[in-house]
Amino acid sequence: MPADRDDSPGRESNQNAAISRRSFLKGTGLAVAAAGVAPGRALAGPGSDQEEVPVFGPGPVPIRFELNGEEVRVEVEPATTLLDLLRDRLDLTGSKRVCDRGSCGACTVQVNGRAVASCSILAVDVTGQKVRTIEGLSSAEGELSPLQQAFVDHDALQCGFCTPGMVMSCQALLERNPKPDRPAIAAGIAGNICRCGTYQNVFEAVEQASGQGGGK
Amino acid sequence: MSRDPQTITIKVGFGDQVRELVVTIGEGDIPPYQVGDRHDEVGQRRNRVDAVAKVTGRARYTYDRKGAGMLYGKMLRSPHANANIRSVDLSKALTMPGVKAALDFVEVFKDRSARYAGCSVAAVAAETEAQAEAALDAIVVDYQVLPFAVTTEAAMAEAAPQTGRGDDRNVSARGLRDGESAADFLARIADQDQAVQEAMKGQTVVSGRFSTSVQTHSALETHGVVCDWDGDNLLCYCSTQGTFGVRRDATASPQLRARNARVVAEYVGGGFGAKFGLGREGVAGALLAKRAGRPVRLMLDRREEHVDGGNRPDSFHDLSMAVGRDGKIVALKARNWGTPGNGSGGAGARNQAYYAIPLVDKVELNVRTNAGGARAFRAPGYPQGIFALESLMDMAADAIGLDPLEFRRRNDPHPIRIHEYDLGAERAQWQKRRNRNPGAGSDPIKRGMGMAATEWFNPGGGGASCLVRIMRDGTVEVRNGAQDIGTGTRTVMGMVVAEELGLRIDQVETFIGDTRDPQGPGSGGSTTIGSLTPAARLAGYRAAEQLLGLVAGQTGWKAEDLRLRGGMVVRKDGGRLPREMSFAQACALIADEAIEVTEKHPMVGSGRNASANYEGFADTNSGLQFAEVEVDTETGKVRVLRVVAVQDSGKYLNPKTAESQIRGGVIQGVSYALFERRIMDRHQGHMLNADLENYRVVGALETPEIDVVLVDVANGKNNTSVMGLGEPPTIATAAAIANAVANAIGARVTSLPITPRKVLEALAAKGRKR
Ligand code: FES
Ligand code: FES
Repeated sequence: MPADRDDSPGRESNQNAAISRRSFLKGTGLAVAAAGVAPGRALAGPGSDQEEVPVFGPGPVPIRFELNGEEVRVEVEPATTLLDLLRDRLDLTGSKRVCDRGSCGACTVQVNGRAVASCSILAVDVTGQKVRTIEGLSSAEGELSPLQQAFVDHDALQCGFCTPGMVMSCQALLERNPKPDRPAIAAGIAGNICRCGTYQNVFEAVEQASGQGGGK
Repeated sequence: MSRDPQTITIKVGFGDQVRELVVTIGEGDIPPYQVGDRHDEVGQRRNRVDAVAKVTGRARYTYDRKGAGMLYGKMLRSPHANANIRSVDLSKALTMPGVKAALDFVEVFKDRSARYAGCSVAAVAAETEAQAEAALDAIVVDYQVLPFAVTTEAAMAEAAPQTGRGDDRNVSARGLRDGESAADFLARIADQDQAVQEAMKGQTVVSGRFSTSVQTHSALETHGVVCDWDGDNLLCYCSTQGTFGVRRDATASPQLRARNARVVAEYVGGGFGAKFGLGREGVAGALLAKRAGRPVRLMLDRREEHVDGGNRPDSFHDLSMAVGRDGKIVALKARNWGTPGNGSGGAGARNQAYYAIPLVDKVELNVRTNAGGARAFRAPGYPQGIFALESLMDMAADAIGLDPLEFRRRNDPHPIRIHEYDLGAERAQWQKRRNRNPGAGSDPIKRGMGMAATEWFNPGGGGASCLVRIMRDGTVEVRNGAQDIGTGTRTVMGMVVAEELGLRIDQVETFIGDTRDPQGPGSGGSTTIGSLTPAARLAGYRAAEQLLGLVAGQTGWKAEDLRLRGGMVVRKDGGRLPREMSFAQACALIADEAIEVTEKHPMVGSGRNASANYEGFADTNSGLQFAEVEVDTETGKVRVLRVVAVQDSGKYLNPKTAESQIRGGVIQGVSYALFERRIMDRHQGHMLNADLENYRVVGALETPEIDVVLVDVANGKNNTSVMGLGEPPTIATAAAIANAVANAIGARVTSLPITPRKVLEALAAKGRKR
């Protein structure tokens, strides 16, 4: 069942989360990981020597990352997910928690450009990284991005609860593949569930945004 | 302004099917949109007014609401499939860090029964979610554990444990005798209807057993509330399909005793029939807030939503149909049963819908099980009943050697659908795409096409009001307190008002989902648009009338010669006015701050005979769906390639959002056909797949190309000539897919969902028969 989707690009959110968990284990050792404590590896930046990483927790730890173009410094409990940090602490409620386990895509944000399920990554793991949420997609003056405008034009939303995650998955898709065909778009949002059934409208929106469709 | 009931002649219909009707419309009502009317705004493809809020993440759903000092509420749920609660001990939980309030549901709801795994028994509110969860673990519940039955089959068995309370039997059916088992009952009434028995003699009779699975609504936003009190007044954000129903529940609740309640649901993250009323979670959320003296957010998590958020009952059908030599259906015999879980409603599959069937012998059994209760779900009873009926229709057509489309046409009394057969057949390329030799050929991939019909019956009801406010500065507000669950209600409400004011939709502001605004309907049964837009249009009309009255007073022009159009005051007859006057200039004539008009959906007749509707071209809306599938006979996998959905629904006020609605209905139908089923563990009594990877919902990769054909009908029945569109597009999809699979492989899968395994079994059974 989910295996159908596992190798699709849309699932990279999971892979990404898995990658960060892997590095996390490598950096800190299993016992510490089991206690739910995160390393400071990312502070030093990816690829740096991780031998002498400080161990954080169990109390709140300070983290610093770039969020929608601005630096954020905040203290978080090590077990806090990125999603909960965004929603509960930073009041960015566009990203939704629907399944809380990486299977619906409603919480999708970009971390360094890649689509990530923010429910399945720890806040401490984005230290030093660039995070973009749906709130960071339109211009500072509130002008919609071309992709957002295409969603509006093609009515690629009904109740709208899946929409922020859907838009962010499409955004990440377009950044790595500026002219995706239909199968590529479908694969790109294969991890995003829309219960209202907007998929076809999303296909059309992405085609417009990538200059392939256009008609409304 | 005339307020008398008026008898008028209206022109209704579509294409060359046009009729004149003499109807009496309600007091103060205006004639409906009809054949030949020209509109500037209505009927245009308009973007949804809340689309920008939704694509930017700015839309605030209940789940996104937060109050100062807000606590997190969580409910404790029974781990037993059937139990009585002896006691609930909250004392330890109340001492846990961060806990501010706790509830014992035996005390709150005066209910000691926990009849399914996942039934709520207690609740806490704490500073953080984690603290609330930890506190749940500290609640001690003493259960008297009882035997249980979680599947329909198990609960129907001879010595099944009792699933309900008191003397309630598991199975209920009209005519069921005391002490009689379901099997004995079904045997006894096998041929209870002599007329049907007689009629079947000498005819071609086809029979089959069909079944469908329990489907959960799985709206992405779960049930829940954010509650805050100001003295005895409750503010309740609620993810609901009925703001006013929730309000009524809150003020009527003996637990809450709210003097007043304001319910807000500006954005709702999906609603498919399960989100009516405050519910236990709503009462708990409000009560926790009251006890803690702080706002509380209590939203279900995904598992709770699956287990306790409602579902569509499963269904089992034994059907027989007799068909005469002329291809007309003579009689239908239906026995069906299913489980609404431990809910209050019935299983209610609809087998006898819409074809002209002179004789019907139907018996229905409801089977209570120890599982979460069913709730209304998009066209309750229809997708399951129609799957069985339409499967049987194809079998009957086959038996008498008629094309399935032609067979349906011969038995179809619907004045619109009868014209949709040709339309659909052409669009779907029925003749070309049908597989002439089902199952034949060496290629393991088989293609086929099937079809099925749909019908629904809701032109809306009364009880909706709409407020239109034209400000002196030219701003226009349109307000109603009902909710938009993603259907586009808010947009069409604004469009019908904009039309009357000669404006575009983006020149009016719409407000929705707040019970401080005028009353509106619950969004169920596809009633919203037909209830609300006639009130909105009338309010817009009367507001325009007042504004033109001011213009006439100031200019000396005759008000009855004037109308508003294209942002201007113009002459109705198209002639020139002595000078130009814009809408804004007209508004500047308003002496007070604003013109304010509130109008109610006008009723026809009075007292008990009052009706929200009058005669129209058709009393129901109808449609046809054609599905083209590809079946891999080696793996059993079915892929739906394309669905053509032909649908009438009265006047299409906004074809863009209507098309989305239809696509969405089809997609849910594909999901129901191929993937969705609640799986219960017989041994432990739990739902095994209460998540979104094992409870599988259709995704982008499995979405077919959906071709929507809108049949626009000036229908009458209300002043906007609309019918509700929520339910009809999801009724026929699974049936059409099942028929397409049969057409592809020459073997029929009679059970939903159509899993690869069932396909392979059907192929194997066909092989054995040879
Ligand atoms: S909430 Fe993160 S994937 Fe579902
Ligand atoms: S628009 Fe409702 S879930 Fe996608």
